[in-house]
Amino acid sequence: MFGNLEHAMLSRRELLWRSGMGIGALALGQLAPELASATNSTNPLAPKTSPLAGKTKHVIHLFMNGGPSHVDTFDPKPALDRYAGKNLPMENLRTERPTGAALPSPYKFSKYGECGTEVSEIFPHTAQCVDDMAVIRSMHADVPNHEPSLLLMNCGEARLIRPSVGSWLTYGLGTENQNLPAFVSMCPGGYPIQESQNWQSGFLPGIFQGTHVDTRHTEVEKLIENIKNHRVSNAQQRRQLDLLNALNQKHLDARQQDAQLEARIQSFELAFRMQTDATDAFDVTREPKHILEMYGSGTQARQILIARRLVERGVRYVQVWHGAGQPWDNHDDIEVNHRRLAQQCDQAIGALLTDLKQRGLLDETLVIWGGEFGRTPTVELPKQGANAGKINGRDHNHYGFTMWLAGGGVRGGTVYGATDEFGFKAVEKPMHVHDLHATILHLAGFDHESFTYRYAGRDFRLTDVHGKVIHDLVA
Amino acid sequence: MQRLVLLSVFVSLLAIPQPAQCDDQALSTQSGYGDNAASRSHWAFQAPQTSSIQLSSEPATTETAIDTLILRRLEGQGITASPKADRRILVRRLYYDLLGLPPTYDQVQLFLDDASPDAYEKLIDHLLASEHFGERWARHWLDIARFGDTKGYVFTESRDYPNAYKYRNWVIDAFNRDLPVDQFLKYQLVADQMVEGDDDPNLAAMGYLTLGRRFINNQHDIIDDRIDVVFRGMMGLTVACARCHDHMYDPIATEDYYALYGVFASSPEHQDEHLPLRLKEADQPQDAHVFNRGNPANQGEIARRRFLPFFNDEDSFFEQGSGRKELAEAIASDDNPLTARVFVNRVWSHLMGAPIVSTPSDFGMRTDPPVQRDVLDHLAATFVNEDAWSLKRLIRRIVMSNVYQQSSEHRDDAWAADPENQFYWRANRKRLDFEAMRDSLLACSGHLDATVGGPSVRIETAPSTNRRTLYAFIDRQNLPAIFRTFDFASPDTHSPQRPNTVVPQQALFLLNSPFAQEAAEQLADRIDPTAEIGTQVRELYRLVFARQPSVEELHLGATFATQADEESVSPEHGNPWQFGYGGVDDHGRVTFSPLPYFTGQAWQGGPDRPDPEIGWVILEPEGGHPGNDQKHAAIRRWIAPSEGHIVVRGTLKHPAEEGDGVRSQIVSSRAGPIGEWIAQHSEIATTVESVDVQAGDTVDFLVDCRTNEGHDSFLWPATIEFRSNSHDTSEEIPISSGFHGPLPKPLSGLARYAQTLLLTNEFHFLD
Repeated sequence: MFGNLEHAMLSRRELLWRSGMGIGALALGQLAPELASATNSTNPLAPKTSPLAGKTKHVIHLFMNGGPSHVDTFDPKPALDRYAGKNLPMENLRTERPTGAALPSPYKFSKYGECGTEVSEIFPHTAQCVDDMAVIRSMHADVPNHEPSLLLMNCGEARLIRPSVGSWLTYGLGTENQNLPAFVSMCPGGYPIQESQNWQSGFLPGIFQGTHVDTRHTEVEKLIENIKNHRVSNAQQRRQLDLLNALNQKHLDARQQDAQLEARIQSFELAFRMQTDATDAFDVTREPKHILEMYGSGTQARQILIARRLVERGVRYVQVWHGAGQPWDNHDDIEVNHRRLAQQCDQAIGALLTDLKQRGLLDETLVIWGGEFGRTPTVELPKQGANAGKINGRDHNHYGFTMWLAGGGVRGGTVYGATDEFGFKAVEKPMHVHDLHATILHLAGFDHESFTYRYAGRDFRLTDVHGKVIHDLVA
Repeated sequence: MQRLVLLSVFVSLLAIPQPAQCDDQALSTQSGYGDNAASRSHWAFQAPQTSSIQLSSEPATTETAIDTLILRRLEGQGITASPKADRRILVRRLYYDLLGLPPTYDQVQLFLDDASPDAYEKLIDHLLASEHFGERWARHWLDIARFGDTKGYVFTESRDYPNAYKYRNWVIDAFNRDLPVDQFLKYQLVADQMVEGDDDPNLAAMGYLTLGRRFINNQHDIIDDRIDVVFRGMMGLTVACARCHDHMYDPIATEDYYALYGVFASSPEHQDEHLPLRLKEADQPQDAHVFNRGNPANQGEIARRRFLPFFNDEDSFFEQGSGRKELAEAIASDDNPLTARVFVNRVWSHLMGAPIVSTPSDFGMRTDPPVQRDVLDHLAATFVNEDAWSLKRLIRRIVMSNVYQQSSEHRDDAWAADPENQFYWRANRKRLDFEAMRDSLLACSGHLDATVGGPSVRIETAPSTNRRTLYAFIDRQNLPAIFRTFDFASPDTHSPQRPNTVVPQQALFLLNSPFAQEAAEQLADRIDPTAEIGTQVRELYRLVFARQPSVEELHLGATFATQADEESVSPEHGNPWQFGYGGVDDHGRVTFSPLPYFTGQAWQGGPDRPDPEIGWVILEPEGGHPGNDQKHAAIRRWIAPSEGHIVVRGTLKHPAEEGDGVRSQIVSSRAGPIGEWIAQHSEIATTVESVDVQAGDTVDFLVDCRTNEGHDSFLWPATIEFRSNSHDTSEEIPISSGFHGPLPKPLSGLARYAQTLLLTNEFHFLD
């Protein structure tokens, strides 16, 4: 459906067609109308409308990297209490490392909202929003290892180079704010495992790759490259651009019908404004006090609040990683660690959902919460080189885990699917990662089977030959 | 290191069923593999046709065969060709296309002044003989080879490929010595069987196969990547599509894929000390089994090692070792219908700005015969039959044509008939690619390091390197943003064509990056500062555009530079912290002089302490030492960014056990002294509650020596809590966080003018 680089380097006809479509979309965006003709012609990020109706215009993916335990967060398993310290009446499924007896959740679960969905005590703020959330308790993936599972969750393929979900969506939808990156991946302290492959553009043009932002920093110039100039003042730069425009205009006058020349002229004006706009977007201190207090303090609060500021400004896709490496990978001391990690982000997540709703943004913003997999309901056994004799953590579990969605046309107040009695394996309405991707694309107005890109002789899809849309999750 | 432990488990789990790679339903409805009749008649699978070339109705004396073919088709469309471009444009076009570098003013003049009829030809030969030629064309090939200096994600083993750069050096050298392209291709596949000994530099050629991503060392994926880079890169065939089942469109069976898989599986890796990773022959080459649906755990029939049977004899199999040598011979063969076509199409595309076959790495069944098929066939046939696979002769043929030399100017009539320029009625205007852009900035700065060959260098970190951009270290796992911003070819897999985007991040780099600003400043430094402005502008035009400015351009330049001089920007522009010495006068005002010398860690009076004039004064991030009297206190100055109020909390520490201690004061430019403390072998809290400030007010943190400067090292960790009146927010500013070395000097007016010239479309596009 869309053009592809190798098979059709933007034919003139296509340019015109895209421009026509783009102008309509632009009226909703933040671009000045006079820029419309020039920027659309060669700007692959010009806003586009999806082929089908879809409510999701923006995505915020809260990535609990490392793998949060579902039986300690959103999938209560009281049966584990009956078997505490004893073997389950089933064979433990094979995960990365050996596991032993049942390990009941150390946390209490309570019912919240009108829907009465049960949530663990470590997510009390998030729990207040269950009526807006669809909790999927039957997620499953392919293997119990971080690397392939991260790539599967992000790119729909465990090993080979494929574009990430954010790249697909920015390819399909462009972005509404040309003064900010279209796809932002925030991760405080560095990279998660597999690093920037998690937001890679694969065979799509590099401009669709996520922009990594290390939210450990607060100064905008450490967040966005080349956003500030310490040697030329704003007024001086304006004069440079005025001279540049005069020179370029003369050059253009002698060369008709070249959209690239015009586009490049406009790109300098965009860049000039980007310096102000990006600075503003990442500066949470401009938020009023009551908003800052609502999100709370700390890095998670700051980056989740930045996520809201970004989608509010038209950024298409925002990933919020909990931290560098794999913070949620609690092979031991799970009680202390999961409580600490949840405490870092829970208030801000609850605030995000509430805040988006109050601003009328939740309808068009899909919020995704989850890791690359879940954790075993059984305790991980000590192994040489691992968990130092502690027997109080959980191993990776790809057979069954929980994710939740909210906003963007998702049916709130629902629980979808279920794991077995103990939370080991998805047994009721199992939902594979490919199904999640199909559903995300559906919410954004794309049929995952026809949203393709031709590369190396094949029409590639995010879902390869898999995936089904889970309509029960769609409002 | 939890990840180390799981390696063995992980590898075994990878062998569990994998997703199929293609759509089976689509497969059953397509006539792809097996429809040999259709394949036999596919244009690209037949030998290039060299139909008789007849001169067009109005033969020109300089008309080449390429021109004849292009003109014939233009005539058929009722379009005329464009006139020759201005000689000034031609010389620039040739320099960039052949060397990737701009001509200097003198080089342009030399050509303009040469009135001989073969001036253009001489220029071509001159450039083809330049050693920069190999650099430019090597980079084009490195896109094909998905070249990188690193392995990608490989757990905790070292990510760098040893000696990867030697493959790049080999490619540069091969192009410079005009190694015939069939040999060039063979070396890259099978150099180990073409040379004697283990230290022949031609062994580096095998980096083509080995320097791809490692896919966490999954052998199946590594081999798949090699099959892909060989067949898409050299033959324009998407063989890797047949990994899971027969190709949907092209005559390539799964069995054929695993026949090739067996070749590479029988070619283990070998690491020489001074060379890039290469392949060698297995002691016992073996055929591989077909992996049903691509799944290594589901093995099917044995696939005997051989070349793609459709392109060869159905009954012939590889008989020498792994078969890699026979594979190379089959690819780099005069009789291969694809190899030469694919190669000349790439070369044409780089020179003409658009390929003849719009999918340069897919000449399969889904690619229709191109409009200019006869040009492609002519070039492919002469490349093999007359030019003995010489890249330089091929390029010479193309750039000698009138088609190449056309003007790029717009013409309404022709544009109406052929807006996409499929018929080549004009030259395509080209934007400088990443390498040409960055190299040109360096060339203008006067600091381009023109050394040919050598190890890779990081180009994205300061201090920036002056080496040509093709020597950049390519980290394929975390490719720095600048590469993606400027449409660099992804090093993840074979890259047939670069994207061509215009985004504001490119402008931000040219406006704000230290690299671009330094280039502008160095360019301005090449101008005589005492010369009058008109002379300066003329000189800059010569350096940047290799031409003289027009009257209007002179005027614009002079106006800009004159006005620019009137503006003054403080280097502290926007930075709230300064470091100096001085004292408090009788009116409670601070006398402040900046400390002139930065050691890299601290500010002080000069390179040595005590400084003859300023004495012992030093300021470090958290503390320092005062000078010898009340007028030589160490002063850390903070400038309020906006209206609001501050609270200061801190601790003054005097750790020494001797001396009379130190005195600290906090003085506001609005309120005067607001606090004073003394510490002697002790610590004391230094708290100031709520002081109002206006934008631009200074708050000074002074420490003096009391009466005796001995043993007066101090620490003064403190925090300013600043509450701005305009936003209802407060900010905690540790004073150590504001510590900084010298700030970059503002760009001079002339440098800002020079930078502006480097931003222009004239600089970044080739007519």
